[in-house]
Amino acid sequence: MTDRLLRHIRPEQFRELILLLITIGVMLFFWTQIPNYFDPRSINRLTVGLAIPLVVAVGQMLVVLTRNIDLSVSSTVGLSAYAVGTFLGRHETSPWVAALLAIAIGVGLGAINGLLVAYGGVPAIITTLGTLALYRVLLVEISNAKTVTTNDLPEWMGGLPSKSLLTVKDYDLRLMAAVALIALIGGHLVLRFLPYGRRLYAIGSNPDAAKVAGIPAQRDVFLAFVICGGLAGLGGFLYLIRFGNITVTAAQGLELQVVAAVVVGGVSILGGQGSMFGVLLGVVLIEVMQQSLLRWSGLSEFVKDAILGLLILIAITVDAVLLVRLREAWVNTRRRDRAKTRLSLATEGAADAGD
Amino acid sequence: MRATDWKRYLRRWEFLLFVCLVVVVIYNSVNVSNFLTAQNQVNLLQLSIEKAIVALIMTFVIICGEIDLSVASMMGLSASVVARLHESGWNMALAVLAALAVGLGFGVLNGFFVAKVGINSLAVTLAGYIGFRGLAEVFIEDNSIGDFPSWFTKMGQDGIIGPITFSILLFVIMAVVATVILHFSGFGRQIYAIGSNARVAVFSGVPVARTRIIIFAASGLISALAGVLYAARLGAVRASTAQGFELDIITIVLLGGVSIFGGIGSMVGVLLSILLVLNIRNGMTIAGITGNTQTGVIGLLLIFSVLIPNLAARAQGRLLRPPVDPQFQAPRVETTAQNAG
Amino acid sequence: MKRRTLLISAAVGPFMPAIATVVEAQSPEASPVGGVATATPGQEVNMMLLPKFLGISVFDQANEGAQEAHGELQNPGKLDFVGPTADNSVAGQIDFVTNAPAGGYDVVMLSNNSGDQIDPAAEAAVAGGTQIVTWDSPIPSGKGESLFVAQVDFDETGKVMADMALDILGEEGGKFAILSASPDAANQNAWIASMEKILAEPEYANLELLDTVYGNDESEESYNQALALIDKYPEMQLIMAPTSVGIVSAAKALQDEGLCDSVKVSGLGDPHEMTSYLENGCAPEFALWSFVDLGYTTYYASYLIATGAIQGVAGESFEAGRMGTYTIEEDPTRPDTGALRIVMGPFSIYNADNPGV
Repeated sequence: MTDRLLRHIRPEQFRELILLLITIGVMLFFWTQIPNYFDPRSINRLTVGLAIPLVVAVGQMLVVLTRNIDLSVSSTVGLSAYAVGTFLGRHETSPWVAALLAIAIGVGLGAINGLLVAYGGVPAIITTLGTLALYRVLLVEISNAKTVTTNDLPEWMGGLPSKSLLTVKDYDLRLMAAVALIALIGGHLVLRFLPYGRRLYAIGSNPDAAKVAGIPAQRDVFLAFVICGGLAGLGGFLYLIRFGNITVTAAQGLELQVVAAVVVGGVSILGGQGSMFGVLLGVVLIEVMQQSLLRWSGLSEFVKDAILGLLILIAITVDAVLLVRLREAWVNTRRRDRAKTRLSLATEGAADAGD
Repeated sequence: MRATDWKRYLRRWEFLLFVCLVVVVIYNSVNVSNFLTAQNQVNLLQLSIEKAIVALIMTFVIICGEIDLSVASMMGLSASVVARLHESGWNMALAVLAALAVGLGFGVLNGFFVAKVGINSLAVTLAGYIGFRGLAEVFIEDNSIGDFPSWFTKMGQDGIIGPITFSILLFVIMAVVATVILHFSGFGRQIYAIGSNARVAVFSGVPVARTRIIIFAASGLISALAGVLYAARLGAVRASTAQGFELDIITIVLLGGVSIFGGIGSMVGVLLSILLVLNIRNGMTIAGITGNTQTGVIGLLLIFSVLIPNLAARAQGRLLRPPVDPQFQAPRVETTAQNAG
Repeated sequence: MKRRTLLISAAVGPFMPAIATVVEAQSPEASPVGGVATATPGQEVNMMLLPKFLGISVFDQANEGAQEAHGELQNPGKLDFVGPTADNSVAGQIDFVTNAPAGGYDVVMLSNNSGDQIDPAAEAAVAGGTQIVTWDSPIPSGKGESLFVAQVDFDETGKVMADMALDILGEEGGKFAILSASPDAANQNAWIASMEKILAEPEYANLELLDTVYGNDESEESYNQALALIDKYPEMQLIMAPTSVGIVSAAKALQDEGLCDSVKVSGLGDPHEMTSYLENGCAPEFALWSFVDLGYTTYYASYLIATGAIQGVAGESFEAGRMGTYTIEEDPTRPDTGALRIVMGPFSIYNADNPGV
């Protein structure tokens, strides 16, 4: 049975299946603990809550795929949310212009990261550890301690968090969730069908070989940082829409949540490995755990983080242990198949010789 | 090739840090009144001594090709354990030992998951980063626990040799020991070997798994020690104690010239980096410059410390500090398969 | 030093509760010094205004007030508005306080975010010749602290919050939850404690406190905590948030969920940030004090202490410029510590009749 399955499915796809089962298991557990767990309002809120980390995680995934990391995303989200919020307080513009402005800010900040990493030869973790601090400092400086509040924001923004594109039996597909889904699907298509996407895997798997193979690694890595920045900028716009009140601490700590989601989602931190579906699962799992722990009234306020840490450890361990087992099984199946083929070829050969 | 690079690097990078340090010290002495007083020099070290202590072990972790994001949460956890046990009537010395044991235990656990289960250390210690802080919250909740015995707070606050405190003395001793282990022992060479190329190290008979577990165990233990010292210095413990220190500590180590990909770096560089960062922060604090600007300056310094040598090297066509070279990255034996989606 | 007879001018204010405290405390019996100290302008005092961290509007308002007083008193010394980063608040405050004597500061005006962990640093600073005057949030143990300039009486905060809850929910009362800042914020904890105490009184018997949760003064966490409260307690009718970040986040969350008809928000909020929620009825009533005045008053008190015009003992009275006269008293909210305070006051209650902007 496993043999037959393993002939058709690669271990990494199995891993996603496992992650999906873990997520469903976690949700079922909380369903038994929390009343109205699956009612429309809770689910709608979950999907909206997913939007921001998901958008940012899609960009992060592209960067991690190239064996780099972008820790500055949280400061980018905060800076873009603040800057766009301030801009909207002073100028009348359409939602599209505001969104584009947010993305443009993110692209600019991402380009700085990309330049330093790809062309300056500064390791990504050093660069983005530095810009994590610098972009936040920039935010504090430009903010002049003024908080962006919903009063500053235009009328059209007030309705956006609850705006639904499609409603089935009170279950909404909210605009924010749709934006995140589009980013996710876009990322998937890029990785699946564009040569650029395939090159990102190649660069991450083996940077040397990629260079030798003539892949424009510098340009590609630069672009990955730019896309990541742009998506973080978009995340900032979503942050502004959702929370409305932006202080200098906006989105602080988001970088670790996103990195955790990407890693839990099976994207290798050493590059070259992972899928957008995995990223989705990682983000969903972490968000479900966080929100459910908050809503679990049987739980003291003070044990949540301890349980979250433990759950993450269990998730990555189950994942890692099963993956190793599966990969061995997969390799063995393949080997057996190949041996069989060889055997039958040899028999045929012998038969031929016998003729 | 590696050997000559290494020597050149040692000569040049530490020298550059040293020059920076001298410039900062001179600048501070001239522009900041009271900078050169003995009390200020002690304050300068004392205010960040716990971070400096953890930076020593973090150097080992990163040279080994790993990372430990859980150090600051471990500091908070050990401080919480000490405080909680003290409050429930334990003997203080026993409470301290218990906290150290907790640090050692969780360090071994981190090491086990990295070395035996084969999970990336970033992922494992990210879980620890959240979980250890969570345990501290379980112990302390919304309280602030203090009223420690006077020998304990004296240990953290008073000078034992002139104005030099126990923590500073301990740091100096640990720095010497760390330097000897890293640069003059077989264990140190093994760490470099693992950090340079774990697979080659395995084939050369280096006990990779054991070494990794030892490193993470030491990281947990020393972080716990730093947490205890921090509790002694502040005289009170809250669940958020030492929150956010991990990024400062990693920044110091990277600024010291340790490669994030492992296999490269020296204790001298890290020690110079500690002094440099502390001197910059101290001078700016005394001069009334805000924390944001300070953080920004350190961030810029971190980036430029790598960027400028890179650019200069490119201009001159030779290397001051080796740029990121994929061969120095730490490929994990297990992760070879690809998933191109 | 000029001495004045007790002033009645302070009693001429629209806000009776806090003023009453001031007037009571001014009775001659309580004042062994027997007069009101005033500031002599032009003396050199180097001052540091140290908020919890930078980038929050109320702290900038405090700085405005301090700068105003700095100009009035023609202090030739420096007034530096410095602070740590938000993610390094505790350790950063300890750094600034420890280094204050070396920086030549005579006074640090501190909004303490470090709880008792600041004690050794504060005591060392005092030993090094720098006085510590706290405002907004005191040092719980009072160690090293010369004086706490309380924005309002901390016990009164609990009463004001309970009164607002009754106002909003009506005489029949109802169930509510508290959304606070961080679990170890000294001022919020004191206010919550005082509210819990007052809820025991028969007047407030109809109010039931369901839970206290923490949003750590971050928009996102506070928003999610507010939503989680709604889930956990379907019968909840009010969220009381004694923090300006928490209250706007909770109001936004209720507005987004379309629940403002059944669940209201109240607490301590900046009227400039609350306008829209006041208009749409999500937050019908909330309170705050003037942070500009708080910075101004703190500056006067610090200047007077640093110049020796007052010694910082219970019973002394002094005049704080346009704010009138205050008398130092033992802080009843920190009993047995010997800590001293003055109460600035008053509370401003904001509602449809008094939107505050």
